[in-house]
Amino acid sequence: MLSKRTWAVMLAGVAVLMLSGCATEVKRIGVEEVKDLSGNWNDTDSRLVSEEMIRDSLSTGWLTRHEQKSKKAPTVIVGNVRNLSHEHINTRTFIADLERAYVNSGRVDVVASKTEREGLREERADMDLHASETSRKAAGNEAGADYMLMGTINTIIDASGGEQIRFYQIDLTLVSTVDNRKVWTGQKKLKKDVKDAKFR
Amino acid sequence: MENVVSGISEISAGGKQGRSLPRAIFGLAALAAVLVLPGCATYSAGFVNVENATANRDLDGAVKSLDDLKLTGPDETLHHLNKGVLLRLQGKYADSNKHFDAAKSLMEKLSAISITEQAASVTVNDTMKAYEGLPSEQLMVYSFEALNYLQMGDVDDAAVEARQFDVKQGLIVEKNKNAKYLSGAFVRYLNGMVYEAVGERDSARIEMKKALDGYKVQNSGFPIPQGLKDDLRRLEAGKTASSEVVFILHNGLGASVDENNIRVANPMPGANGPVMFSLAVPKFVKRSLPVARVVLSAGSSSATSEVVEDVNGIAEKSFNDRLPTIIARGVARMVVKNVASQKAKEQAGGNPLFNLGADILTNASERADTRSWSLLPGNIQMARLALPAGKYDLTATYYSAHGNILATREFKDVEVKAGRKAFVSDYFLNPPAAAKAAN
Repeated sequence: MLSKRTWAVMLAGVAVLMLSGCATEVKRIGVEEVKDLSGNWNDTDSRLVSEEMIRDSLSTGWLTRHEQKSKKAPTVIVGNVRNLSHEHINTRTFIADLERAYVNSGRVDVVASKTEREGLREERADMDLHASETSRKAAGNEAGADYMLMGTINTIIDASGGEQIRFYQIDLTLVSTVDNRKVWTGQKKLKKDVKDAKFR
Repeated sequence: MENVVSGISEISAGGKQGRSLPRAIFGLAALAAVLVLPGCATYSAGFVNVENATANRDLDGAVKSLDDLKLTGPDETLHHLNKGVLLRLQGKYADSNKHFDAAKSLMEKLSAISITEQAASVTVNDTMKAYEGLPSEQLMVYSFEALNYLQMGDVDDAAVEARQFDVKQGLIVEKNKNAKYLSGAFVRYLNGMVYEAVGERDSARIEMKKALDGYKVQNSGFPIPQGLKDDLRRLEAGKTASSEVVFILHNGLGASVDENNIRVANPMPGANGPVMFSLAVPKFVKRSLPVARVVLSAGSSSATSEVVEDVNGIAEKSFNDRLPTIIARGVARMVVKNVASQKAKEQAGGNPLFNLGADILTNASERADTRSWSLLPGNIQMARLALPAGKYDLTATYYSAHGNILATREFKDVEVKAGRKAFVSDYFLNPPAAAKAAN
């Protein structure tokens, strides 16, 4: 029959198979901690983009020029950021960061996006029926945007064997809604060298 | 040669301790036999319920049967691939893509070599290896995901799939340099349409050109789609696309893989076992294609389908390329098992009952790897019907090779936008009894 030793090897094998990954482990980490798992677009990329775009768009000349010319804060609406990359990228994270920076700076007004506006209009229509006269808000008082924020995400991937060089370029533009002039363009480039594991 | 294999036992420590390795291997085979034997049916045999329910258009039943198979561990990729197809056929495109994404990420992960799985495939059987999909299957995932996005009206995300496919196909060709059938012609044809839809006309033209070249080199035994040639000519002339309905049919089922026992000579006969081994190897079984052509009509306009992808043919070539490696690994495995079994028998002191048990275990753990992405269609047909913008009730009629009408399907209120393509898809399988026709 099989020796004790063989049985021990088999039992140890079964025990290892059964016990590994018994419970899910959760560890909280700081939002600024860089942790790259697959090499795909992740929170760190989004944060780097928003930091660059916020710094650049609030410090360049378009804002002062607008303020000098019209004597009031510019109003911006967020348009479409097209994903022309190799990944399904959620662009809302860094756009929301940028919106927040604009609003909190007190120098740029941001108006609600197309879908948000639809909700607001429904609410106003509802107010017409149900809200008291003093608190009711009339239609036709929406702020029109001076500029629309648009952009693209592009990638170039060079892959061979188990290695990939991933290059991301994120371009954001503020376009005047009056005459389609581009008043600001921001750009962030990111590059990663991703090596696949040879063994698992 | 004998010394090489028996040498394994001496490498670890020598003497008494080293002699335990054949027993450990044998123990592993015994353990595998215990684990494998209760579910003795091969993967393809267990999959029949899923296929039958799908053929009967009972897709909820098919999903349930698939879930009941509990394809986890080394078979997890197969679960996601097949579930992705079933959800797609149900029109649950977003959910379908979640499974295809999961399959893709597993395929990426599994491309790294696992030492333990390799060892298990040489000592127990090939089903111990995690299923990462044939290269041809890996390419097809992108087309289904793109189609799902197109059918959700999300062309930007379909274009992401097209870009990913381009990188993946390059890597697959790099690994399989002589495999002309991995040109991904159909996926590129589809991707050309996707690029045009997102306004990247240059990329569309390049992709269509690559598709045309791909069809030429893969030499699949069906004509290069006329729709592709027309598109390429139009793009080269700088003309825009007119609005149309693109109808995709998943026709029949992809190949099934059966188990086949072949006899091969033992490279180390004599003390280490019989002169001939019985080896369980997978056997590719092509299934018959029910639909020969589709006629898509809206009012008085109609269009006939073209074959755009011979999924079966490509899978067969992919399979045949792998077979020599499978057989070589099988022979190596039988040698290892026999050596381990002989050594174990020696240590058991010639107990006849033990010898019988050892022989049974050696053979019982031997199973062919019959896994494949079974719910792939046998081929894919595409019918393109140019229509002015508007809402249409479409009729798709499926004809057999003898010209008999197999089925007629209605698609109500299909919206065609100006200058855009509306994607519609369906599937047709032979009724269950005839589904497993001989090749």
